[in-house]
Amino acid sequence: MEILRAEKLEKIYEDNGVPVHAVRGIDLKINKGDYTVIAGPSGSGKTTLLNLLGALDKPTSGKIFFENEDITTKTKSELSQIRLNKLGFIFQAYNLIPVLTALENIEFSMMLLNIPEKERKEKALNLMDELGIKELANKRPNEMSGGQQQRVAVTRAIVNNPSIVLADEPTANLDSETAGNLLSLMEKMNSDKNITFIFSSHDQQVIERAKKLIILKDGKIQN
Amino acid sequence: MLWKLAWRNIWRNKRRSLIVLVSIVIGMAALIFFDGFSNGMMQQMLSNQISSNISHIQIHKKGFNDNKIIKNILPDRQKVEQILKENAQVKFFSERVITFGLLSSASSSSGIYLYGIKPGAEEKISKIKTSIVEGNYLSDAKRDILIGKKLAEKLNVGLGDKVVAMANTPDGSIGSDVFRVTGIFETFSSEFDRSTIYISEQTAQNMLGIDNETLEFAMIIEDFKKVDEVKANLQLKLGDEYEVLSYKDLLPMIIFSMDIYQESMFIFNLIIGLALIFGIINTMLMSVFERINEFGVLMAMGMKNSRLFFMIVLEAFIIGIVGTIVGLIVGILIHIPLSHSGIDFSLFAEGLESFGVGAIIYPILSLGNLISMIFLIPFISVAGALYPAYRAIKLEPVYAINYV
Ligand SMILES: Nc1ncnc2c1ncn2[C@@H]1O[C@H](COP(=O)(O)OP(=O)(O)OP(=O)(O)O)[C@@H](O)[C@H]1O
Ligand SMILES: [Mg+2]
Repeated sequence: MEILRAEKLEKIYEDNGVPVHAVRGIDLKINKGDYTVIAGPSGSGKTTLLNLLGALDKPTSGKIFFENEDITTKTKSELSQIRLNKLGFIFQAYNLIPVLTALENIEFSMMLLNIPEKERKEKALNLMDELGIKELANKRPNEMSGGQQQRVAVTRAIVNNPSIVLADEPTANLDSETAGNLLSLMEKMNSDKNITFIFSSHDQQVIERAKKLIILKDGKIQN
Repeated sequence: MLWKLAWRNIWRNKRRSLIVLVSIVIGMAALIFFDGFSNGMMQQMLSNQISSNISHIQIHKKGFNDNKIIKNILPDRQKVEQILKENAQVKFFSERVITFGLLSSASSSSGIYLYGIKPGAEEKISKIKTSIVEGNYLSDAKRDILIGKKLAEKLNVGLGDKVVAMANTPDGSIGSDVFRVTGIFETFSSEFDRSTIYISEQTAQNMLGIDNETLEFAMIIEDFKKVDEVKANLQLKLGDEYEVLSYKDLLPMIIFSMDIYQESMFIFNLIIGLALIFGIINTMLMSVFERINEFGVLMAMGMKNSRLFFMIVLEAFIIGIVGTIVGLIVGILIHIPLSHSGIDFSLFAEGLESFGVGAIIYPILSLGNLISMIFLIPFISVAGALYPAYRAIKLEPVYAINYV
């Protein structure tokens, strides 16, 4: 089942008056349960594309259909609402809230959806248990390793059962063993819970383990 | 959870938050001190005046207050006395013969206000008896006179020394009499002590040839706050021939300075508020700029702008509340001992005494000002956070996430 579709997507940045064509006419389709990796050299437009698909940025032209609705015409606050309800994000630098513990960071996601405190604590702890990070519950980000932080970040991204999780180079700051473990975790979530993942990466390991690969070059799909 | 997050965010940069907090605490404590001090000074000025000889309400023949001449005797002394006796609000009253005259000793003489009083009744409406520093209080004896300490010095007389008082009588001749100094008084006001003498009313009446007549009724009422009401009531009963004046009419300068003070307190609040608001704007802007990445992530997660805005304002609000509470405690801890011991201004006492205050000032806090202070700082903190919070929600998520 298709959940995301891009048509003739273009993104032109303005860099000191010089137009930069970061995405040049991309068509793609993502189905429920896909595990897609967007690969390509630096500057090929991976982050730009991911931002467009994640409703964080608007294309210069072209259309994006999310669950059959055109999101390119939506207002900022509507996009924010879509991200809140339907999308999860994982960042290269983990980006947990530094003053909150692992458990609170995960709860925070649910707080944004106004889930009552008791329910969110229970749900967060259950999911942490499932992902084997329960012992991190009361640790602050600066007390955790990069790999541990990224696991918490993955938990945070999936706890609200999003339709799609988008991750821009999630393993770039991790050593290859830790990266491998993290990938296993996401693969498990993908197969167990049928969560849809879209990554960008130029990590060979990530690319090898992709179920669907999109290779970008100069803002265009190569394969 | 937002409260918890806001609280922890405040303590991320301990030093910066402490600086703001300390400045709020100092501002608050300074406001409390300043308010207590000025208010205390004002109240003291007022109560000194009231208890020296102004009392709460005075009754004269119309025009007396502007022209204190002996001709302005009360039209009907008995009528006034009757009305005062019948009024339940009037607690104590007494009558006074008042005129301007001259007091001479063997070596010198000086212009004076001559008060002819009923010693027993006067004692209840003024502090003259307790102001005696040498000798005794007035009796009804014919030769008794009380004079101020400064006047005694000027005339170079002591207890038992002979003085001569002279004043105009209503028919234009001069009445005079000889006295022996019975007592010397010293009040908060050196001006008063330089220019006032007391003799018994009876003696004054004889000397001035106005038997059974008087010039003033002065009174203390039960409820000080009802002074306007009592005044109006008396005026109504007495009619146009009389003037009924409250301490407010009699001390316009003090009342005026109390009004001015309220306004200056407002300006003082404003100045401290302005100083604090820039500190808060600056702190909150710094703290927002340091967290641009974090806000980007929150926005990506779909946090509503209104919520983000609220979170930032909440941080400032908490700083304001904590600062207010600590400032209040510090301010009151400073205030309480001072309000008991007073602040000694002996060094400047000469100046203050002629100003009618006294050398030791006891700070008094006014509830109204205290309440407005309690609201002021949290309000200012929130106001100071509005712009930084606005800047935060105007960020573009993509820009914010990638901001370095
Ligand atoms: N905000 C921007 N303003 C101007 N140009 C930009 C902006 N963001 C990206 N670009 C340009 O767009 C092109 C694509 O950038 P993008 O970040 O999408 O590439 P990427 O594939 O993610 O690269 P990397 O692997 O280095 O992260 C690059 O040429 C980049 O310089
Ligand atoms: Mg990139």
